[in-house]
Amino acid sequence: MFLALLELRAARGRFLLMGSVVVLVAALVGIVSGFTTGLGDDTISALRRLPASQFVFSSDARSDQFARSLLDERTAAAWRKDADTDMTPLGVSITRGTTNRGAEVDLAAFGVEPESFLSPSVTQGDDLADASADSIVMSAGLADEGVRVGDTLVIDRLGIKLHVIGLTERSGYGHVPAAYVPLRTWQRIRFSAPGSQASAATEIPDQFSALALRTPAKVSTADLDERHSTTTLTKEKAYEAAPGYTGERVTMNSIQVFLYLIAPLVVGAFFAVWTVQRQPELALLRALGASRRRLLAHTVLQAALVVVLGTVAGAVLAGAVGLLVGEQVPFSLPATTLAVTMCTVAAVGLAGTALTLRRVTAADPLTMLGANR
Amino acid sequence: MSLELTGVTVAFGHADARTTVFDGLDVTFEPGRMTALVGPSGSGKSTLLAVAGALLRPTAGQVLLDGEDFAGLSDARRAKVRRERIGYMFQSGNLLSGLTAVEQLLAAAYISGERPRAHRSRAEEALTGVGLGHRLRHRPEQLSGGERQRVALARALFLSPKLLLVDEPTAAVDRSQAGELAELLAERTRRDGCVTVVATHDPAVAEAADRVVDMAELSVTGASAGLSGR
Repeated sequence: MFLALLELRAARGRFLLMGSVVVLVAALVGIVSGFTTGLGDDTISALRRLPASQFVFSSDARSDQFARSLLDERTAAAWRKDADTDMTPLGVSITRGTTNRGAEVDLAAFGVEPESFLSPSVTQGDDLADASADSIVMSAGLADEGVRVGDTLVIDRLGIKLHVIGLTERSGYGHVPAAYVPLRTWQRIRFSAPGSQASAATEIPDQFSALALRTPAKVSTADLDERHSTTTLTKEKAYEAAPGYTGERVTMNSIQVFLYLIAPLVVGAFFAVWTVQRQPELALLRALGASRRRLLAHTVLQAALVVVLGTVAGAVLAGAVGLLVGEQVPFSLPATTLAVTMCTVAAVGLAGTALTLRRVTAADPLTMLGANR
Repeated sequence: MSLELTGVTVAFGHADARTTVFDGLDVTFEPGRMTALVGPSGSGKSTLLAVAGALLRPTAGQVLLDGEDFAGLSDARRAKVRRERIGYMFQSGNLLSGLTAVEQLLAAAYISGERPRAHRSRAEEALTGVGLGHRLRHRPEQLSGGERQRVALARALFLSPKLLLVDEPTAAVDRSQAGELAELLAERTRRDGCVTVVATHDPAVAEAADRVVDMAELSVTGASAGLSGR
């Protein structure tokens, strides 16, 4: 420890340079991780919040199921009869509207039965349970865009008027803030023709995007799917049905993986150069009787200090970036995500230094003699 | 307490490419006496230091320090012998860069498993003892060649070694300082009672030594008959 710290002090310029690189790599990984989580939240947090374990879609919808799948009450009744579990219809579609105060917003309309387990709990105002059919509960993201409880929201081109009665937690679907309406209202939004000024409930088909199962079906869903021409997905698998989710995940995760590959190479390259440069000093230490184990411990300690301190500083920087961008961009870096990400950066960084350890122990004390130096 | 090399053979390479530096060398070095190894380059001075200093395992023979043979020990055990019983002063590059003179000595204490901070005042005394009381906080690049070698000498003697091995101590030192350094080496050897072996080309060092061994007169089959002494 003593000698490792003395060397760190003596070569503080080099270690500061290396530490800065580690800080930047860690911050970059943290920021990418924040965007990965933020974009993920923006895309599927409304699905994640639904208290459902599985979703049943029509079998003809093989991708973007929430947009493409349509089920009817007949299928729902058949499933209810066979599955022996609590289930409720769910409608999901993206639309846009304008409030009476002029705020133009995009929203992901989630159609739910007001009395069902999918009906959202509110943090302000009233929930859908006892509300009229033209009520809407919006998530916090819409409040950021200027929508208030008590406002009237008119769905563009359809002219459907909705009264904002409550506010629920921040959630989104397909990068659009979620809002919850009674299923019948959702069907009007989904199936009305633009300009029709639809209001007659009788003209609207009684269909919805999916059936949400509160707990997994007690019988084989494969059998039920085959029998009722449906496709059942777990909630996690259903995230892939959200628009853009898979593409975003692959892109962001690829960036992270590449950073995880780059980090050990950068750190390893620095320590390789550092080790080569101090071969004469390592030889001197060996000649003075330092054991290989001590030299290894000495080098690992130096690397650990640089990598860990650099990673911690990088984490602080990533967190600061998160605070700075605030709600303006989809950035989310919970403490656990940050901790896991930074531990991984530190681990791969230290793995990089491990590549150079053989050179540390290979220093030959005999080179100290004669005119070798 | 003496250093005794018995039947030491050192050879490198195999078959036709085999080079034999020593073949059955017997030589003894007495405590409290400084022995200068002299001779042309390639005559085996450094090899003798390497074998005596547990840096090189001889092909055959014994190297006895205080009657204990360390020639056949493992690499780790020979490192232990080096840090506990032998002090070294090399031709150049003796000092760790960026460390002050005091820290050079504390680093040696640390390598030997001692708590460095407990030795700070003793390190300062040791440096004062070699005339560097005014250079305690100086780093290698702030010291002259002679001062660097004095720091190396203070470090070599810091843990009271039984054996002090010195390789060309005056190679990077000007003439006026070379004589002083040689006298200092001889004086500390007598005072501390250690076995001191110095490989040198410098007549000033040979002049200060208690005994001179001419390596050129040591035949490869050679033995103590090749020694000249005073």
